[in-house]
Amino acid sequence: MRPTGLESIRAIQAALADIIVPELTSAFAQDAAGAVQMLLESLAGDWDTAAEDLRRDNEALSVLLASSRDALDRALPGNKSLASTVTDIENRLREIQDDSLTLSSLASRNHALRALLERILVAFDDLTGQSGYEKVDGLRRDIYVHLRQVATRGWSFWDVSSFRERMIAVRSAAAEDDARGAVR
Amino acid sequence: MLEQRIQTYLSTKLDTSDGVAISALHRIPGGFSRETWSFDARWREYGREVHRGFVLRRDPDASLLVTDRDVEFRVMDAVAVHGVPVPKMYWLENDGSALDRPFFVMERIDGCETHPSKVLMDPRFFSARDRLAQEFVDILVRIHAFDWRAGGLASLGVPASEAGCAIGEIQKWEAVVDRDSLEPQPVLRAAFRWLRRNLPPPAQRIVLVHADYRTGNFLCNSEGEIKGVLDWEMTHLGDPMEDIAWSCMRPWRWLGDEKIGGLMERADFFRSYQQAGGFAIAADAVRFWEVLGNVKFAAILLTGARSFCDGRTRNPLMALVGRNVARLELEIMDLMGV
Repeated sequence: MRPTGLESIRAIQAALADIIVPELTSAFAQDAAGAVQMLLESLAGDWDTAAEDLRRDNEALSVLLASSRDALDRALPGNKSLASTVTDIENRLREIQDDSLTLSSLASRNHALRALLERILVAFDDLTGQSGYEKVDGLRRDIYVHLRQVATRGWSFWDVSSFRERMIAVRSAAAEDDARGAVR
Repeated sequence: MLEQRIQTYLSTKLDTSDGVAISALHRIPGGFSRETWSFDARWREYGREVHRGFVLRRDPDASLLVTDRDVEFRVMDAVAVHGVPVPKMYWLENDGSALDRPFFVMERIDGCETHPSKVLMDPRFFSARDRLAQEFVDILVRIHAFDWRAGGLASLGVPASEAGCAIGEIQKWEAVVDRDSLEPQPVLRAAFRWLRRNLPPPAQRIVLVHADYRTGNFLCNSEGEIKGVLDWEMTHLGDPMEDIAWSCMRPWRWLGDEKIGGLMERADFFRSYQQAGGFAIAADAVRFWEVLGNVKFAAILLTGARSFCDGRTRNPLMALVGRNVARLELEIMDLMGV
């Protein structure tokens, strides 16, 4: 359907900037309009990719959690607390089988997986650096790589101010990684 | 309507029998923990015409922060006599009957700017940058030197010990994340764990902490003179390194580079603060407080998002801020070195 969702957001932004804001006389109203403009930019930033990002994140999280379950299962026989975490991961990974591609379903699955990740990360932070748990160290690193990818995604108003140079560095490093991957 | 009610209220407060005329009432952007209104008032006092600008801060319907207006009012009133530039505080009304919600009224300081887009990016301010940086440091030293016991501020809540400052702040902000998170927060949870394992040395002294001391929270003129330090909503007693680290946080490095508050290099900030009589600064302690500062800021944004999603406010900024927590997570992971 045309205009698409993204094209429609751009139309709203243009109307806001060209028609509505020039009519606003108070600084407070102009400030609120600025916040709306940035909110729309944030939505536009992930309009096309939101579902794909969530689907990929959920796949990545499932793999990370399954690997974590295996690592904990092997490394910690007899540890009741971690054994219950392993059981919870098994149960949740079995339960969370939903092929729906609606954003609400994908987000709901994502929340369930991230809640498990939250617990795993705490457990791994306790174990990191201990001998015999090298596999856990590697998985912990992989989890943070995933969390960093998610944290740098999309548009933020800070990307053009406070985080400008930091985000240039992040995106430049990501582009180099992509280029290296393409060569391989 | 509000204008009329302010007029009625002021008539009860000012020494005049001829009434008060209110004009130019308008809401000021920002001030997210309270509504901020500016207005002019004219009245006759002992036969003389008086004209004065006021700022009214009223409790909001919902906010980024749940704070105590009484604390903000009392602290600003107390530090003024110690040479900390703040607007003069006039009246505090904890009973909100006059204007529907509790509020206080303070002096309006004219001829100054507060927004970083002006203070850092307007050419009128360029030549004042060095003086502004020095003023920023000197005032922070004065805040930290304030004798809060003599100033009657022990009621803010004295930490049990110098060593208890850090853990108290961790607990405070973890409770906010527990209360207001709408989604799992693996990075923030990992950060709380990191903070507990990397506690700083005990505070060198328990001081008055502004707790939101940064570029954007002071009024200054184009000569680089800071005329008013604002936004004392989160002030408390604690470790002076908390303010140092908060000032250093990336969100306030408005020019997008590494300059602290867009004003000066980190090493220069630390050196100036110590030379001006501030406390010794240890990089590890600042790192701890900087992680905690970013976690605290994320918690504040989560509170705003929760207010919006619960329908307690329609302010679009509250919706926007929740979508920006990710960048703080990046900063937290950078600082933790993971």
